[in-house]
Amino acid sequence: MRTRHPIAASLAVLGYIVMLVPILFVVVTAFTAGSTLRFPPEGFSLRWFEAALTYTPFTSSLVSSLILAVISAVLALALGVPVALAIHRGRLPGKALVEGLFLSPLIVPELVVGLALYQQLMVGFGLDNFQTLLFGHTVLMFPYAVRVTGASLALIDPAVEDAARGLGASAGRTFFSITLPLLRPGLFSAALLSFITSFNNVPLSLLLQSRDFRTLPVVMLDYVQQNYDPIVAAISVLILAATVLVAVIAERTVGFARVFGGINR
Amino acid sequence: MTHAAQFRGVSQVFGDFTAVDDIDLTIPDGKLTTLLGPSGCGKTTSLRMLAGYLAPTHGTISIAGVDSTRTPPEKRDLGMVFQSYALFPHMSVAENVGFGLKMRRVPAAERARRVTESLELVGLAHLSASKPKKLSGGQQQRVALARAIAIRPKLLLLDEPLSNLDARLRIQMRAEIRRIQAETGLAVVLVTHDQDEALEMSDEMVLMKDGRIQQQGAPQEVFPAPANRFVAEFLGYENFLTDPGGELTTIRPEHLWLTVGEQAPSASGGSVVSGVVLDLAYRGVDLLVTVAATDASGARVELLADLRAESAPDLTQGTHVWVHVPATHVVPLTGD
Repeated sequence: MRTRHPIAASLAVLGYIVMLVPILFVVVTAFTAGSTLRFPPEGFSLRWFEAALTYTPFTSSLVSSLILAVISAVLALALGVPVALAIHRGRLPGKALVEGLFLSPLIVPELVVGLALYQQLMVGFGLDNFQTLLFGHTVLMFPYAVRVTGASLALIDPAVEDAARGLGASAGRTFFSITLPLLRPGLFSAALLSFITSFNNVPLSLLLQSRDFRTLPVVMLDYVQQNYDPIVAAISVLILAATVLVAVIAERTVGFARVFGGINR
Repeated sequence: MTHAAQFRGVSQVFGDFTAVDDIDLTIPDGKLTTLLGPSGCGKTTSLRMLAGYLAPTHGTISIAGVDSTRTPPEKRDLGMVFQSYALFPHMSVAENVGFGLKMRRVPAAERARRVTESLELVGLAHLSASKPKKLSGGQQQRVALARAIAIRPKLLLLDEPLSNLDARLRIQMRAEIRRIQAETGLAVVLVTHDQDEALEMSDEMVLMKDGRIQQQGAPQEVFPAPANRFVAEFLGYENFLTDPGGELTTIRPEHLWLTVGEQAPSASGGSVVSGVVLDLAYRGVDLLVTVAATDASGARVELLADLRAESAPDLTQGTHVWVHVPATHVVPLTGD
C-alpha cells in the first residue's frame, strides 16, 4: 500500500463504499421509531434494541452461537497447533501434500460437509445436533487454525528454538518457554478468526439445526423470512458493535497488524 | 594436549548429497579453532553435528573425551552463537543471558551474579533490562556471546558470528572474541568463509572443501605452505605455474619481479619466464602487473606481480617482460 496508484486507490475507496454503505443503512434503520425496515427511518428510538434483547429466540440462540464458537475455536486450535508444528518444524515426508490436505475443507462446499456429517454422525452414530455441529465447526476451522498458526510459526527463526535447546532446555521446555510465547499473537488471531468463522456460519448450522439447538444467524434468517421489522437490524447492530469491540481489544492488546498480519507482518 | 572434541570417521549424508565425508578432526582444548571454507564445504554441518542439532550418518563425536554422538543438544553443555544471534525476542537481555542458568536450576542470586559477570565480559552490563529488538546488531551479537558463555560451556561454538556486522565492527569484534577467548580460556570453534578472519583469529585452522578436510594447522604453518591448489587459492595465492620439473607450484604476487630487455637474463636462484604485460593497476605504494606468460609445461598462464611502484620498470600494456620466479618463494602443491 506504500505505492499509491491513483486507479488502485480509487478502486480501494470504491470497495470500502460498497462494503460499508449497506451496513450504514442497517445501522440507521435500527434506530427507527417506526415498525418497518424502511429508509429513511421514522424518528429515533431504542425500542427495537429492547425488543431484540428480550426476544427469547435471539437471546437463547446467541448463547448457543457463543458456546459453539468458543468451544470449536478452542478445539480447532488444540488440534491445529500440533499439525502446524509438524508441518513447519518436523521432518515430515510429503509436507506439501499434508499442507494441501489441511486446506481441503476450505474447498469442499459446506453443504456437502453438512450433509455428510448429518448422515454419518447424527444418523449413523446417533450424536445429537450440538455435538455434530461442534464437530462440523471444528473441522471447518481446523484449516484456518493450521494456516494462521503455521504462518506465524514460519516467522519464528528456528535458530531461536535451537538456541534454547543448546542452553539446556528439553524439547517440551523449549516449546512452552520459547515457541508458545512467540506464537501468542498467531494463536490469538487464529482463535479470533475461527471464532468469527463459526459465529457467522450459516450453511452447516442451517443443515444441522434442531428445535433445541439453533445458532443466531439461522434464527435471524428464519425471522427475516416471516417478519419485516427493525428488530433484525437492531440485533445486527449489536453484533456489529460486539465485533468492533473485540477488534479494539485485539488492537489494544496485541495490535491489529500482528493479529491479522500473522500472515504478512 | 587434551582434546575439547574429536570427530572420528564422521559423515553426514542428506539424500544423495554428502555434506561431510568421513572426517577425522581434533579440536584442541583452550584454543580457537576455525573451520574455514566456501559455502557448501561442510563447515556449518560439522558445527551443527558437534552441537547436537544433527546426528551424524556415520562416525562418532566425543566431547571432552566422552562419546556424545547420541547426546541431545540440551545435555552437551556447549555454548553456541548463531549467525542470526537467535536471541529470545520476548525476554530482556538479562533473561536471555540467564536462560541457560535457569535451565540448570542455578539459584536466583547466583544466577544474577553470573549474568552480570557475563554481560560485563562483553561490556553490556548497562543494557541488561533492554529487549533485544532495541539493540544494534553488534550489541545483539555480544548478548548472544554472553548468553553462550554464562553457562560456562565445555566449548564455545560460533557460526559465522561476524557475517551480519558491518566491516568496521567486524574487525573490532575479531579482537573482542580473541580477548574473550583468552580471558575465559574456553575452547572455541568458529565457522567462517573469510580467510582474513581465520588467519587473524585462529590458533588452529581447518580448511574444508566438499565435505573433506584439506589442511589443518596453525595459520603460520598453513599460510606459507598450502597443501594443494584449493587451499592456496582460498588463502589468496594468485599465481599457479608448472615448474621445469613438471610440478604444480604457486608463488605470491609480491615475490615475483620483472625486468625488461632483449636478452633473457640469467636465472640464478630460480627460473625466468617470458611474458607480455596485459594489464597495469596503480595502487599508490604498489603496482599490480598482470603478465601473460608460458610456463615450463608450455601452458599459457596469467601471472600477477605486485611491485613497489617507485622501483618498477617503465611498463605499458604490451611491453615484453621477463618474470623472475625466485626458488626460495616457490611453494610446491600436491595438485588436486
